[in-house]
Amino acid sequence: MFHVAFDSPWYLALLAALPLIWWSSFRSLGGLGRVRRAVAIALRTLVFALLVLALAETQWVRTTDRLTVIYLLDQSLSISQAQTDAMIKYINESIRQQRDRAREDRAGVIVFGTESAVELPPLDETQQMPRVETTIDREHTNLAGAMKMAVACFPHDTEKRIVILTDGNQNIGDALAQARALAEANIGIDVVPIRSQSFGEVSVEKVSIPSDVRRGQPFDVSVVLNNKAAAGHERGPIDGRLQIVRKAGNREQMLTDQEITLDPGIRVFRWREEIDAPDFYTYEARFVPQNPADDTLPQNNQATTFTHVRGSGQVLVLEDFENKGEFDLLVQRLREMNIEVALRSTRPDELFTDLAQLQPFDTVILANVPREHFSDEQVEMLARNSQNMGGGLVMIGGPNSFGAGGWTNTPVEEAMPVDFQIKNAKVIPVGALAMLMHASEMADGNYWQKVIAREALKTLGDQDYCGVIHWGLREEWLWRGMLKVGTNRAQMLGRLDRMTPGDMPEFESSLLLARNAFANLPDAASKHMIIISDGDPADPNYGPNGGMAGLMKQGVKISTVAIGAHGPAGHARLRSIALKTGGKYYVVTNAKTLPRIYQKEARRISRPLVFERGSGFRPQIKYPHEMIQGIENPLPPITGYVRTTAKENPLVEVSLVAPEPPGTNNPILASWTYGLGKTVAFTTDTGKRWAGAWTTWENFDRLFSQIVRWSMRPTGEAGKFTVSTDVRDGKVRVVVTALDKDDEFLNFLNLISMVVGPDMKPIDLAVQQTAPGRYIGEFDAKKTGSYLLIVSPRPGMAPIRAGVSIPYSDEFRERETNEALLSSMAHVVPKQGAAGKVIDAPLDLKSDERLAKLLETNTFRHDLAPATSSQGVWHLLVLTGSCLFFFDVFVRRVTVSFDWVGPLAAGVRSRILGRQSRPDVAATMERLRSRKAEVVDQLEQKRAALRFEPTAESPGDADSMQEAIDQPATSAAQRAKTQASLTPEQEPDSYTTRLLKAKQKARGEMKKDQPD
Amino acid sequence: MPGSTAALMFLGDRELVHSMRIERRSFLTRLLGTPVLATLGGCDEDRTSKGRLRAVWGRAGVSDGRFNKPRAMAIDADDLIYIVDITARIQVFTTAGEFVRGWQTPVHVNGRPTGLGFDRRGNLLVADTHYFRLLTYSRQGELLETLGGIFGHAPGEFGFVTDAVEDSQGNLYVSEYGEYDRIQKFSRDRKFLLEWGGHGSESGQFARPQCMALDGEDHLWVSDACNHRIQVFDTNGRFIRLWGTNGSEPGQLSYPYGLALDGQGHVYVTEYGNHRVQKFTVDGRSLGYWGRDGRAAGELLYPWALARDSRGLVYVLDTGNNRVQCIEL
Repeated sequence: MFHVAFDSPWYLALLAALPLIWWSSFRSLGGLGRVRRAVAIALRTLVFALLVLALAETQWVRTTDRLTVIYLLDQSLSISQAQTDAMIKYINESIRQQRDRAREDRAGVIVFGTESAVELPPLDETQQMPRVETTIDREHTNLAGAMKMAVACFPHDTEKRIVILTDGNQNIGDALAQARALAEANIGIDVVPIRSQSFGEVSVEKVSIPSDVRRGQPFDVSVVLNNKAAAGHERGPIDGRLQIVRKAGNREQMLTDQEITLDPGIRVFRWREEIDAPDFYTYEARFVPQNPADDTLPQNNQATTFTHVRGSGQVLVLEDFENKGEFDLLVQRLREMNIEVALRSTRPDELFTDLAQLQPFDTVILANVPREHFSDEQVEMLARNSQNMGGGLVMIGGPNSFGAGGWTNTPVEEAMPVDFQIKNAKVIPVGALAMLMHASEMADGNYWQKVIAREALKTLGDQDYCGVIHWGLREEWLWRGMLKVGTNRAQMLGRLDRMTPGDMPEFESSLLLARNAFANLPDAASKHMIIISDGDPADPNYGPNGGMAGLMKQGVKISTVAIGAHGPAGHARLRSIALKTGGKYYVVTNAKTLPRIYQKEARRISRPLVFERGSGFRPQIKYPHEMIQGIENPLPPITGYVRTTAKENPLVEVSLVAPEPPGTNNPILASWTYGLGKTVAFTTDTGKRWAGAWTTWENFDRLFSQIVRWSMRPTGEAGKFTVSTDVRDGKVRVVVTALDKDDEFLNFLNLISMVVGPDMKPIDLAVQQTAPGRYIGEFDAKKTGSYLLIVSPRPGMAPIRAGVSIPYSDEFRERETNEALLSSMAHVVPKQGAAGKVIDAPLDLKSDERLAKLLETNTFRHDLAPATSSQGVWHLLVLTGSCLFFFDVFVRRVTVSFDWVGPLAAGVRSRILGRQSRPDVAATMERLRSRKAEVVDQLEQKRAALRFEPTAESPGDADSMQEAIDQPATSAAQRAKTQASLTPEQEPDSYTTRLLKAKQKARGEMKKDQPD
Repeated sequence: MPGSTAALMFLGDRELVHSMRIERRSFLTRLLGTPVLATLGGCDEDRTSKGRLRAVWGRAGVSDGRFNKPRAMAIDADDLIYIVDITARIQVFTTAGEFVRGWQTPVHVNGRPTGLGFDRRGNLLVADTHYFRLLTYSRQGELLETLGGIFGHAPGEFGFVTDAVEDSQGNLYVSEYGEYDRIQKFSRDRKFLLEWGGHGSESGQFARPQCMALDGEDHLWVSDACNHRIQVFDTNGRFIRLWGTNGSEPGQLSYPYGLALDGQGHVYVTEYGNHRVQKFTVDGRSLGYWGRDGRAAGELLYPWALARDSRGLVYVLDTGNNRVQCIEL
């Protein structure tokens, strides 16, 4: 259905000027005759009217009754799997039964928690949703965000409705305000409340300990438990077990495990506790109900808190779990120097998982450990522990450290005083990495391919080459072959984001591409290729002329990654390629492990960063830093180190340098202050491989103990500061009490405070003085996990650290369905149309009956205003007006005679009828003759006007003129006729010819006159 | 389908047509462009294209009648078109693109079928590629028989099965690729008779034999996809001839995935790598091609298969565009 509308209708008032145009035109066009004047005025009217319509911004409006329904499915943690299943069933049935296929109604699904994602795009087909495929953060309920996403997903030219399936317990955003915005946009809202059959709930509300726990001083661990009855239900006492566990490092100790009876309401249990050794302690309280049916949500049955009891400094040494014992000597010597050392390997179960777990240590030593042993989060924690929490970070060399360990472009490189790439060297050893991406049929396969390629690219240095082969329209490079990463890195990352690898028929053509590209990189010291595939492209050519042979000849190793491989055949091919070239073969079942594989593989090409010389060379002291106090040249020789470049920053102090390779000045020992902490790079090892001569050196202990002590977090008198924290409504309140040694209030302190959240992002915390010696600050703590807080009272004083733990998501706080919100949203009336409905059914019905009851309300009903889509047509109006204007001018300027129509029609008629009319012909001939004579006469007149005038010097012409006068008067026509008949071959002289002749004649006369 | 692709999918055909109809720039471009192109010539269609587009049908989707990367196609004696896509659905259409019926293969977690054909009794042969077997269905979708199912290179075992055809004597030929690119021949009662081929580029060897067809003399035509050529064998696997080289010029081939014969001395080949259909004489002389890469009607993206109906019209499976194009070639 179409109609016309105007965006600026007031311009239509200009049409009132039409009578004026008619009046003036009628007068000015009087000379045109009646018909032409009428046509001209009509055209002029049309042109004017079209221009006015164009000014009024005429719109061509299409109205449609098609409807799009988007279901918003709450997937926050407060929704159980059973509820999700029931809701999916409802959505599927609703789409199947209620969608009007003939009208091409559309249906889509958005799932939401903290964030929203389109599960099914709104399409005009009967889509069915077997399960929720999309992975989202479920920690919170952001209904408003989901509604915004729905608005963005709606096609513009249909009626729009959202159906919200939620318990309404939002904790981010304002859904009601968003509902009003939707109503303004004519979007209807139906609500299906999600309810649970809850009779009550037990939760551990919190565990608390005093803020000023000191060694040897008894204190209470308080556990707050809540036995809450559901609305409208009676609740009796609940039996269960209360367990309190204390964790410190890897040690876990059960403090109590007692049977208790929990009466309805809030109850507090206390446990007397005393700490006798300094460490970082976590207390966890758990309640296990005797009858699980008494409790709806088991997730909220535990809570944690932690405290730090400070002792002397402690150091954490992390060693490679594949090369254990490599640093035993160093650990032993440090311990001998009275430094408390904890030695842990990088095995996943030994590694820290939380920033809080790093807090007992004043320095972390990364002892020749590769990057891929750590998750992104752990790498981030290492850097944040130094920058924000003031901890030290020391990286000790070995072939798995620095750039050679794949640490390039990580937050740890940022934290270190050296860059892990080599700059300003005459000959820079570079690596080359080619990646082959074959379309993956596994879920999110293409997404993971991009993640992997990005990670691999990040690991490469600026001087390295990188290329990606994929199947676009044919096998092709994603960018032009193998390019230096350096300045191209950003562009490469952009291309990777846009990559959509296709289904590659075979490996061979891609291997040939890679072979040729590697052959053009003579400066690449190490060449590596990675193939990621599901294994179904055809086998490569293993013959001597094939791509494999060409690559192997150049020393290229190929690692293969089978992802979503098509059974044994796919695996066999990929394994065979890896085996033949000396690469590695990986099978991936969990896509999340892929980036780590690629990091490890990309590291293979960073081997040139290791410099080794068997004959040995002596490091030189460059700057007498306090770390090398008491140590002088000559130092014992070393045989190798990892090449790095000191950062160009005045804070960086390079104490020891390597004189080899000649002409370079690579740091062996460098340090700087990074944020609140200190970091040290020691690029050779501690004796296992390169610095063997140092183990017997008398200054070994001195050097390493000084390095470690310098990097440690400052210790000292912390004064009488206490920091207490309190969590309420998603916010943490921090109270600092400051007393001096005489217990006097410390006022007007400029407390510098910093919070690091569970996502390792720093959170701003402004602490203001509110009373003598009392300082208060507050920050948002929406995420689950540990929040660590550091407060620096004044320069030189040890910082005060505290922490708070959010044990479980807000979603697990038992709450009733938010009926008020859901009902309010459904009752918001769209601008044009009826209010939505609350689609509900009693919980005590059987599931099928309940579903049938819910389906009684048609979500695809038509009670909303029809959707319109408009198209501006002003340009077409202007174009038409311009064409008509041309005809307006044409009608006024050109006389179109229709005299020929009559004779033509008569001729046609007579020809059709076969009649001949002689008298008519005679008359016609007569008219023709007369007309001919008339035309000849006119021509003669024109010719006479142009004829050359005779002069006195041309007597001949004068004579002929006289003859003409003497001749009896005849008509010009007859004369012309006579001339024409007498001299048929002679063409009359043109004006120019005559002028030329006269000129020649005059020249001839002049010659005659000249004397000989 | 989550993520950014969703926004693109909202544009249904109707909107596309609508936007084309009223979009000023597009209209003027077409208005000016058509005569200019017609005058200048130089595009493929003028020079070598012999085809005329008759119909385009199909669109992306997962419900009945829509496609998700359709990969193989076959046509039965009643001119019904059978198409399998990567959801492992076998859908049956009329030549006008009307959905008739459909069913799904039993399992498809490892991968989906990539070849379809008919035996002499009119049953549908489904190359269940990633399960190393051949499924035989009635035209109504009833599973009648399963051949193979074991990965390996012994007789009766398979790698990635790509296609199957039956000769006039009822013997069955099954092509496969993987480590052992070969063709196995089975008797009428599905007993292994012989095998030939092997991975390589010599005559008689294969690199992904993707599609097969039999001519009137029971000669077996094989599209040797990754060798970019067509090979012909007799029923005993004896090599007769081959033609085709890698390239994009007329007469050259790039990954020929689909093959059909018309019984009048012509061979039709879909080229996955050149995004076109090429018509040859039986001795490999190109008679022109149709299509080029793109998404507009008359353009193809990764075409996998083709089939001819009883009227001689050619149906091209335009995999990348999730549709079928019908042409007169």
